[in-house]
Amino acid sequence: MTGLFSSWRKWNRLVHRDLGYIAFGLTVIYAVSGVAVNHIADWNPNFDIETIDSVIPPAKLDPAATDSVLAAVILKETGEIEPLMSTFRPSPDEFQVFVEGNTLSVDLSTGETSQKKVKERWFLHAFNFLHLNHAKEMWTWVADIYAIALVLLAITGLFMIKGPKGILGRGLWLTGLGILLPLVFLWLYYF
Amino acid sequence: MKKIVAISLVFLLPFSISALSGKKYGKDITLKTKTAISAILEKPADYIGKKVLVEGLVVGVCENRGCWMQLAGDKPYTKIKIKVKDGEIVFPMTEKGKKALVEGEVYQITWTKEERIEQLKAEAKEHGSQPDLSNVKDTSWVQIRGIGAVIQ
Repeated sequence: MTGLFSSWRKWNRLVHRDLGYIAFGLTVIYAVSGVAVNHIADWNPNFDIETIDSVIPPAKLDPAATDSVLAAVILKETGEIEPLMSTFRPSPDEFQVFVEGNTLSVDLSTGETSQKKVKERWFLHAFNFLHLNHAKEMWTWVADIYAIALVLLAITGLFMIKGPKGILGRGLWLTGLGILLPLVFLWLYYF
Repeated sequence: MKKIVAISLVFLLPFSISALSGKKYGKDITLKTKTAISAILEKPADYIGKKVLVEGLVVGVCENRGCWMQLAGDKPYTKIKIKVKDGEIVFPMTEKGKKALVEGEVYQITWTKEERIEQLKAEAKEHGSQPDLSNVKDTSWVQIRGIGAVIQ
């Protein structure tokens, strides 16, 4: 019986250890992305957006000019060097110029110009892509397996230590605290 | 050697075609005939509840969640909103200014003036701008529930 128990302990530690190694990378990705998207109301976790306001002398903006001529003037006046992708007129007085990573919106009557420069947050965008499962396809399975691995890590983690600091001692109190925490917030905000 | 090249070409061809056609979002596009955005905007009743394939320039994208984008219409000063389920399809902001082909179902939104004002305020907050509430009278408009898209 003692042999069986120690063998079970050995396998528990082995599973916990190796799953922990495997899950390390994914856990970092999910945790970092989790914090990032948790604060979506305060910032954009995927894109770094810079807004630049300026004024182009209205005399240089002829609403009757062709879109390409008007766009060339706007790009020159704002110092934007990216090649022109496309243009759009939302209204007779508004004109939009699209270049890679920048949208320039111009009020043709006042010359007020607003540039919105967009850059992907290089690692966060990729982390969020995986965390929020935008990849779909095979990644859905990887994420499911990872979720199961987390459950296994949690369960095997309970039985890593024997004695007064294990699940029958201090561990029991701390585990209870960890379960109580979400219950308190459910009681506060959900029920 | 020629055989290897020929076999490689056979396998690579589908990828090159897919690369040429653009980046795919959501489900595959099944419709073959395009509907002009102007036709939908001018006679929405003819299209509500129907599946359509539309093409247009991406002139706006939801900044926070990528859950909608606006396509420029084929007539001046017009555009239509493509709304997708949050998380099901995500349109990146970097797609602005590119041409998109979208398949989806046309549907009508009807809001009271007060609801429309609230929506404009929320949109302005998202864009960090001031809402223009001076002429709020549109309480009904059409959108497309996006199912699949290809952006070039």
